Amino acid sequence: MQLELRDINYTYPGSSNNVFRQLSCQVTEPGFHALFGPSGVGKTTLAKMLAGTIKEFSGDIRIKQMEHVLYTYNLERLPGWYSVHDHLAQITPPPNRRRMQELVESFGLGPCLNSRFAQLSLGQQNRTNLTRYLLQDFDLLIMDESLANVDEITKEKIILKIKALYPDRCFLYISHNVVEVAKFCRQILVLRSYHKQPQAVSLQGQDFDGRRSLQEKHLEQCMLEIVNAA
Amino acid sequence: MLHRRIYQFLMIYFAGFAALMLVKYSLNLSDYVIPSLTEIWNTCRRYFGLYLLAVLNTLAVAILGHVLSICMATVVGIIGRLTIWIGSFIRVAAYNIQAYPIVAVAPIIFILLGDGLSSRLLIAAMICYFPLLLSIIGVLSEPVTEIEHFFESTRRMNWQLQVKIRAFENSHKLITVIVGSATLAMVGTIVAEFIAANAGIGYSIRIALYQSDLAKILVALFLIGICTSVYLVFLEWLGIIIKRRIGSV
Repeated sequence: MQLELRDINYTYPGSSNNVFRQLSCQVTEPGFHALFGPSGVGKTTLAKMLAGTIKEFSGDIRIKQMEHVLYTYNLERLPGWYSVHDHLAQITPPPNRRRMQELVESFGLGPCLNSRFAQLSLGQQNRTNLTRYLLQDFDLLIMDESLANVDEITKEKIILKIKALYPDRCFLYISHNVVEVAKFCRQILVLRSYHKQPQAVSLQGQDFDGRRSLQEKHLEQCMLEIVNAA
Repeated sequence: MLHRRIYQFLMIYFAGFAALMLVKYSLNLSDYVIPSLTEIWNTCRRYFGLYLLAVLNTLAVAILGHVLSICMATVVGIIGRLTIWIGSFIRVAAYNIQAYPIVAVAPIIFILLGDGLSSRLLIAAMICYFPLLLSIIGVLSEPVTEIEHFFESTRRMNWQLQVKIRAFENSHKLITVIVGSATLAMVGTIVAEFIAANAGIGYSIRIALYQSDLAKILVALFLIGICTSVYLVFLEWLGIIIKRRIGSV
């Protein structure tokens, strides 16, 4: 499983400003990784490139042993004519049906199942949206602020559940929260402005999985490295 | 209690009527130009039933033409939403054709089809068709990215689902356009009856016009207004039912 970006250059159509200049980075193993960086640096653009939505760029994106790449973002909505349960039942492939119940319970979506998407809170909406992506067949799931508006305790529970249930899959978690990125992610790709070279810096996170204790000193060190890199 | 649309019509009608009477009595116009209240009342009693049937006849054609336009606009709108050449062709053609006044084409329809139901129906349908088509194309060709993204990424998207998502998300807009175009359907039918008909209230008005009988025309206008308002009230009620049903748990 390998994800490699080599010498990516990209400018938004109609704009003269670069988004990426000679951007190179790689992820070589499965796990819960992060894409971190200040607003407007190009995290979502990069995610869309990986998902194949943006194709007009120069450079190489090599994705090995990752057939299904999915990209989800926090503003997505479910069709309004379905209840959450009906939608999940409709879009879950038969082999993943058993997992649906488990995710619904772990993500605290039980009380929302008979509601329509518009009736949910923002946090519930994001959890529901993430659940349906986790029920698909994927090798790489890019989560663009997918846990925004979710409280910290539930967020931790969700991330730990994802790490426990999908140890062989690759996740790229886009977040602005330096603490959660440093705490839960294995590899952290810090994306910087195109003026800085290299434009992406790779750091090791604490990869906390809930089984071993977290060393505060290492976490603080990691957070400091991320902030300095950005 | 009268529905908002009906009392609004009554207010406008009687305001216009009062203005007409004001002109008559202030300029001392003869009954031949503007009939007296008594003459209007007598005409109303004499022709109310006959004209009511004529208006209902017109309304039936208008409803048929309206339904026909909705169906045609939906089919063409579904094709017009496509990003390939046929979609672009239909969109450009629709924008250009709608700019041309359909009433001006009506005499050709009369020459080709003669007077009768087919001419009335076709002219009525054409007059309300293009505004409907433009709205439906606009709604169906605008992606609802935040819903469609999931289905696109998981390769579940098909044209029926795409149309369903876009129509559902814009159901309020579509219902408003359909209600609005009902008036156009009625206008279209009456215009068609002026030119090419042997029945309907437009045909009756044309005869009244030849007789210079303003009393008959005023009675006809009253009935047209009431019946159109009732049809609009019915469509709005239908729209509320649909909105409630798709929005409820």
